[in-house]
Amino acid sequence: MSAVAGPRGAGMSLLLSEIAVLFRRRRTWALLLALAAIPVLIAVAVRVSSAVPPGRGPAFLDRITQNGLFVAFTAMLVSVPLFLPLTVGVVAGDTIAGEANLGTLRYLLVAPAGRVRLLLVKYAGALAFCLAAPLTVALAGAAIGAALFPVGPVTLLSGDVIEPPEAVLRLLLISAYLAVSLAGLSAIGLFLSTLTVVPVGAMAATVVLSVVSQVLDQLPQLEWLHPWLFSHYWLGFGDLLRQPVLWDSFASNALLQAGYVAVFGALAYGRFVTKDVLS
Amino acid sequence: MNHRNMGDPLTTRAAKQRRNRAWLRWVPAVAAPAVIAAGVLVGSIPARAGDALADKTPADVLALLAGHNAHTFSGTIEQASELGLPELPATGPSSGAASDDPAASAIEMLTGEHTARVFMDGKAKVRIQVVDRFAERNIIRRDNDVWFYSSKDNSTAHLTLPAHARDLPLEDPALPGTSPESATPEGSMVPPTPQDLAAKFLAKADSTTAVSVGPDVQVAGRAAYNLVLEPRTGGTLVGMIAIAVDGETGMPLSVEVTARGAGEPAFRTGFTSLSLDAPDAALFNFVPPPGSTVEELQFQHPAHPSTGPGVPGYPGAHTDPEQLAAGIKDKAGSYLAGTGWETVVELPAESGAGAKLGTALAQNPLLSQAAVVVPGGRLLSSALFNVLLTDDGRVFAGMVPADRLQATSSAP
Repeated sequence: MSAVAGPRGAGMSLLLSEIAVLFRRRRTWALLLALAAIPVLIAVAVRVSSAVPPGRGPAFLDRITQNGLFVAFTAMLVSVPLFLPLTVGVVAGDTIAGEANLGTLRYLLVAPAGRVRLLLVKYAGALAFCLAAPLTVALAGAAIGAALFPVGPVTLLSGDVIEPPEAVLRLLLISAYLAVSLAGLSAIGLFLSTLTVVPVGAMAATVVLSVVSQVLDQLPQLEWLHPWLFSHYWLGFGDLLRQPVLWDSFASNALLQAGYVAVFGALAYGRFVTKDVLS
Repeated sequence: MNHRNMGDPLTTRAAKQRRNRAWLRWVPAVAAPAVIAAGVLVGSIPARAGDALADKTPADVLALLAGHNAHTFSGTIEQASELGLPELPATGPSSGAASDDPAASAIEMLTGEHTARVFMDGKAKVRIQVVDRFAERNIIRRDNDVWFYSSKDNSTAHLTLPAHARDLPLEDPALPGTSPESATPEGSMVPPTPQDLAAKFLAKADSTTAVSVGPDVQVAGRAAYNLVLEPRTGGTLVGMIAIAVDGETGMPLSVEVTARGAGEPAFRTGFTSLSLDAPDAALFNFVPPPGSTVEELQFQHPAHPSTGPGVPGYPGAHTDPEQLAAGIKDKAGSYLAGTGWETVVELPAESGAGAKLGTALAQNPLLSQAAVVVPGGRLLSSALFNVLLTDDGRVFAGMVPADRLQATSSAP
């Protein structure tokens, strides 16, 4: 951090160093590698087994043998309920509690950064991971699919066919959709992380909440609650595979996640700026 | 708030001041949910139209509706029903079971919620997409070619309309259940559009129906007249039907059916978004995707319903019992009792409909649970209609109370 830089420059360099630290950590690499293993496992399993009849297993699984790009779509579908929230929970739960646990939090606060800026930078780091995680699944899926299966025009849910470059564009769109989907969970993780100095507690609580939210979303008795659950639109990314693209779920999802970010961001702010930092 | 340092002798004045100001830090945490709650409240109040629609008599609204000429639009239709029938599992990523048997497919369309996108460019270019989770069912018509596509099993069916059917609308409301659409292969069924239903209910709007115009409503952001049909007889389950008629074009935007004595509609279908611009022409060019199995269907002219374009063996190929009733009305051997809203349709045992329905009931555990054993047969009961399957294989259906069906079935 340069002492002559203004507050803005200081925040920027703090953000860059946070992201650099995050992506240099061995744990972050392990998480991303675990995510990349999902499409590889799917592709290898389909390659060595007999043809999958349509309608069995997750959507798109039967299409993989004809088109390797479907490995990416299938892997994203499979990783949404547990693997993505799990990795994001680990990163988001670690944000503040991890520093507190290491005893580095007070040093960070001694620097002229200020608590609000530190909170923002930590959240931005978690968001960067939210973007990297689905992208890893998508790229690993496309790569392994291209390596093991032929790649050709992709049939959308509507029956229309798009060329591979456009299919890759849709993959990136889905990654963006999933990144937005995980923003709310990250905010929850950030808040939980300000409550404790035990990072594992915050991580576990975040992951458990994501599972609870998905379970509640399955109970028909709680139908009134469903649109309010942060996991409600997680599987809505299928709408990006229609022709023309159905943006409704993207918009609803973004609005919902923005609400979660506002509420839990404000809670994290309230907690963090009033907290006595002892470690 | 943090009181951990309370009583600490080292508490300084600055710390005290900080604590006194601490509650301010929680203001955003309270404000954010409050703002969201306020936003939701404001959003739930129906927006008033900029200009109120000119007052119209029921006859004027009926004329507006009858004369509507909006056949070029794209929109999203949502359908929701709470008929009291068991909800079949929604078509999830891996479930294909719901469409495996047609009766279940018909029930699936009748229960729960469905979303469909409709694109129309004139009557001869239509595309309907039934949006399921990670699946889609498509019907695409371009002039004489009609394509059916289901993403679940990547299957395609093709139907060539004869030249004389060129200008025939895909869904002709005057011929419910007999349009080429009813020749859809199993699993490709679409929910009825507001146009279909409005036409069907208006056909009943004779002297047995009281027609009035309620306060204007907003549907898909458009101001609409609220045409209310109320059966004058107490012998039907239907209490009220509200049709939203677009103030500008006369197009039916939504249909709500409320059961007698109920407060909330048991069935609702309507546009959630609507644009009157011509859809992208490329949407109507359909080529079967690679790897898809294509089945050629034979077209049978709707003018000869006795030869039946309804798919033989697929009693569920009609999207609602009303349609089912209307569709089979003309077929030889069926019998009608009662008139207007109290119509009861009977299918004699020879038609085999009873046997088919019986098989469908036996095969589907959810359906067989819903069918209650009553004296003389089994009854499939819902808020708006009843179907009675007698022990001797006859089927009675109608929008009438169950005892009416039983009385009809036991009458000589």
